[in-house]
Amino acid sequence: MGGHLLRRLLAAFVTALLSSLAVFLLVRAVPGDIVAQMLGQAGGDPATEQALRGFFGLDRPVWQQYLAWLGQVLQGDLGTSWTQGLPVAGIVGQAFAVTLELGLLTLIVATAIGVPMGLVAGIHEGRLLDNVIQGINILGLAAPVFWIGLMLLIGASALIGWSPPFMYSSPGQDLWQNLQILLLPILSLGLLQAVAYSQFVRQSVVSALQQDYVRTAIAKGLPQRKVFFKHILRNILIPLVTFMGLILVQILGGVVVIESLFALPGLGRLLLTSIQNRDLPVVQGGLLLVVGVALSLNILIDMLYQYLDPRMRR
Amino acid sequence: MSAALPADLRGGRGERTFGLLRELRRRPEMVLALVIVGFLLFTALFPGALTDLSPTDVDVAGALQPPSAAHWFGTDDVGRDVFARVIYGTRVTLSIVAGSLAISAVLGGLAGLVAGYFGRWPDMVAARGVDVILSFPPIILGVVITGVLGTGITNLVMALAIVYLPLFFRIARAGAIAEAGRTYVEAARSLGVPEWQILVRHVLRNVLPLILVQYMILFPLALQIEAALGFLGLGIQPPTPDWGAILEQSKNYLLFAPWMSVFPGLFIVLAASGVILLGRSVQRIVDAA
Repeated sequence: MGGHLLRRLLAAFVTALLSSLAVFLLVRAVPGDIVAQMLGQAGGDPATEQALRGFFGLDRPVWQQYLAWLGQVLQGDLGTSWTQGLPVAGIVGQAFAVTLELGLLTLIVATAIGVPMGLVAGIHEGRLLDNVIQGINILGLAAPVFWIGLMLLIGASALIGWSPPFMYSSPGQDLWQNLQILLLPILSLGLLQAVAYSQFVRQSVVSALQQDYVRTAIAKGLPQRKVFFKHILRNILIPLVTFMGLILVQILGGVVVIESLFALPGLGRLLLTSIQNRDLPVVQGGLLLVVGVALSLNILIDMLYQYLDPRMRR
Repeated sequence: MSAALPADLRGGRGERTFGLLRELRRRPEMVLALVIVGFLLFTALFPGALTDLSPTDVDVAGALQPPSAAHWFGTDDVGRDVFARVIYGTRVTLSIVAGSLAISAVLGGLAGLVAGYFGRWPDMVAARGVDVILSFPPIILGVVITGVLGTGITNLVMALAIVYLPLFFRIARAGAIAEAGRTYVEAARSLGVPEWQILVRHVLRNVLPLILVQYMILFPLALQIEAALGFLGLGIQPPTPDWGAILEQSKNYLLFAPWMSVFPGLFIVLAASGVILLGRSVQRIVDAA
């Protein structure tokens, strides 16, 4: 198992390296860099332009720029933001804290709603309740997450006259206000992921019900409750845990739009604004973090799966 | 007894039509899907048949009117008819999604086919590239590509095509690997059929249904990303009617003019759920075959 883990880590490292290279080349391949933006329409004199390019290191060949950046990153330095003059690690870290809180709370809400929905649907397979839940699932899968957010905003305002506070505050500053502003983002992302959960759990229950050991358990006269908790639930728990990781990766993507909609200073919105401002160190650092988190989650799921399922341990 | 016979042994055209009807009656899900998709196709092809109003005519005096008999979905901030914009937007939005996914399916499918069938270094190289794309959450990759390259249809289509390429690649690759080991491939090879001919005539034919199902699974996801990019201002730009772009405009008038955001979203939900239902029905047929 140690060798397997090492191989996976190595593969993830190579993928992260290649991804960072792809991002680096992409963001530098297009016209209109930060110097052009700073000097604006009028354009400065060539000497100023050249001095500025030199300052940002944009005058060197791209491969040199990449190697210099990579060297820094490997020493734990993500560089300095071109627009804010602050260390990228700090900016990205602060934004990630917001995203992480949003993501984890969303995961809790999605699990709390989606798992029971899926269990109920699976147990009532083919019956009315199942069809209703499946209908909800399809609508949930079809609705864009930001549109659910818009509808929740309109609905909350129209029905109970409530709107979230405008200013973001971190849980450390004002937990109550923080939760108030996170409520609708969590709900919109959470409802969407709950549907994914529900689909997955339903499928697991349906296939568990067809297994021989469940049929035997029913045939030997075990009470339904016992069959459900001891045989069905226990066996779908493992795939469920791994599915959780998948959901987290999904949430990581979903936050970009939701954070912009609800003006949350998270990683998604940071990426969006720094792409618009051509603040390349922040774009590169932020994406490196996103890719790193996604890849590590995948490895973590894999390890967890092996740990939880003794059959996978070899 | 006749029901068990294959369709082409069952007599004339009339009976086959009845067979189709009977088949559809047993699949209400598919009927619903076909109705929705048919309606949207009609809307995309003949938007003028559904509304006399123009999607781009500005009427500042009649701005932000709630839904009425004259304006079914109300009017937007510069007095354009929201119903007309949504109806005309059907073609814009759906053709972008359908087109970019088609590019993805052709390029990814072919690459996967070749990589899976021949293996070795082309497979290794392609697999690395696919891993790189898959290491980003899809929407983030979409935002990065359109954000860096700038707005416009070409960049939007390219972004969507790149995001979904790996998923077509993987399914085609897996299919090709499975088919390459079958006896009929061996038989064809021993008869001296050239490799590329085996690939195109036999392997491709068997992998195609997988790609088709994948296309329908990915369609609603791609639609949502297209809308999200439009909503972030990175997709289609106004005044071109596009569902996501209409929603982008609506967000400043959320509470004053909710009709601007409700209706385009409903059309997205309608289109996505129609394709989801269709995909599920087709998947069932493919699985049963």
